[in-house]
Amino acid sequence: MNQVLVVDDHETNLKLYARVVTQIPGSSSNAFTSAKSALRWAETNDVSLVLVDQEMPELSGIDFIRAFRELRGRGDVPIIMITGTPDKEVRRSAVQSGASAFLTKPVDPVEFIALAQNFMVMHNLKRDALVRAENLQTQLRALQSVIDAKDAEVIETLERVMEVRDQRLADHCKRTALYAEAIARKLRIASQDVARIALAARVHDIGKLSIPDRTLLKPTRLSDAERRTVQGHPAAGAALFRERESPLLNLAAQIALGHHERLDGRGYPGGLKGEQIPYAARIVAVADAFSALTSQRPYREALSVGLALDEIERGAGDHFEPRIITALRDAMPEVLEARARYPDLASA
Amino acid sequence: MSERAILDLSRLHEIFEDDEAGIVELLELALGTGQRHVRQLREALGAGDAASVARAAHGIKGSASNIGALEVTRISAEIEERTRNAQLDGVTNLAAELEGAYATLGERVRSYRAEVL
Repeated sequence: MNQVLVVDDHETNLKLYARVVTQIPGSSSNAFTSAKSALRWAETNDVSLVLVDQEMPELSGIDFIRAFRELRGRGDVPIIMITGTPDKEVRRSAVQSGASAFLTKPVDPVEFIALAQNFMVMHNLKRDALVRAENLQTQLRALQSVIDAKDAEVIETLERVMEVRDQRLADHCKRTALYAEAIARKLRIASQDVARIALAARVHDIGKLSIPDRTLLKPTRLSDAERRTVQGHPAAGAALFRERESPLLNLAAQIALGHHERLDGRGYPGGLKGEQIPYAARIVAVADAFSALTSQRPYREALSVGLALDEIERGAGDHFEPRIITALRDAMPEVLEARARYPDLASA
Repeated sequence: MSERAILDLSRLHEIFEDDEAGIVELLELALGTGQRHVRQLREALGAGDAASVARAAHGIKGSASNIGALEVTRISAEIEERTRNAQLDGVTNLAAELEGAYATLGERVRSYRAEVL
């Protein structure tokens, strides 16, 4: 049922207009002599059309329209203003305030009904289209969450492969992902993107599975050939996600490929500079460095948290982005909690 | 003065169709509220408040035109026009004419009521 709000301080007019509304199929009227009472009613009731007089003692029709338009969800409701005279200035001002059309007294019932019907049809079509669009959005979000869950399963499966092959590597990836998540939150990144970074970073080093243990675990200086092999792990990892349309898997590829790039272009594999390096990869670079520095390596002992932060700080501007380092410092409570959850086995 | 000049029921018949009782009810309501508005107009006139006289006349004109009360509409329109320009000359006479028009309208409504109910 279309509810028509009728506002006029003269009861005779109110009764007459309400009577005309009864001739519009599927419509009922709610009539008020007080403009303020009408506004209070409109706050909590659905309205398909407003019919308002211009000259009223409490509020003028124009003031009523302004106040009505400010109510939540009432911006699109058609408003017909009834005027005693065809005063152009009044009409101009009413249109600027949100009036949709005018009728002049004496109100012609045929003109009134035609105008009201047309407006209500348009209003209802627009409202229905919005509802349909909202429903589609909801369905789309539901589908996206199914797809996201499937993509997450891919990441989790690859993570299990890493666990089977190298538990320490898998734990480093988990820690790094949690650090990256905490940093991303401090950087006020949108929550959906934070969640994606947190997932994608869990396999940022999966390319290391392609490196032979004798190289990966070598306690002494690497030969040039061995260094080239180690530096091949970003591309090897990214290759797993090549030609995938999923945003999550694309992000995993970006992070895998870009987490050893440096701001000054002296990183690998691409020698990318500054903003050429994807933002998520710049975040994971800091998280990865912190995890690596605070873990024992075949060629050195684990650094304390303070020394690791100092070391990262030395790379501010050249290697790492300063504001990401600040975010790491700000996120330290969460970072330490993650570190306790997935301790480095060799350091434990 | 012809009856048609006092009250034109064609618009109300268009709206109320064969609901004569509805028409009578609306006309009686218009008479009651009209008297109240004429009192307000008289008070504003007594106070020399041209703007309030204009507002009251405007309201009377709108309601009267909607119900087809032609004579009341004509006189209230004239009062409004004069007082919009802060002119109160001759308005006392027009107010008396307006009261007379309401009295005639009342008689017309009563005879219509007797005729249809």
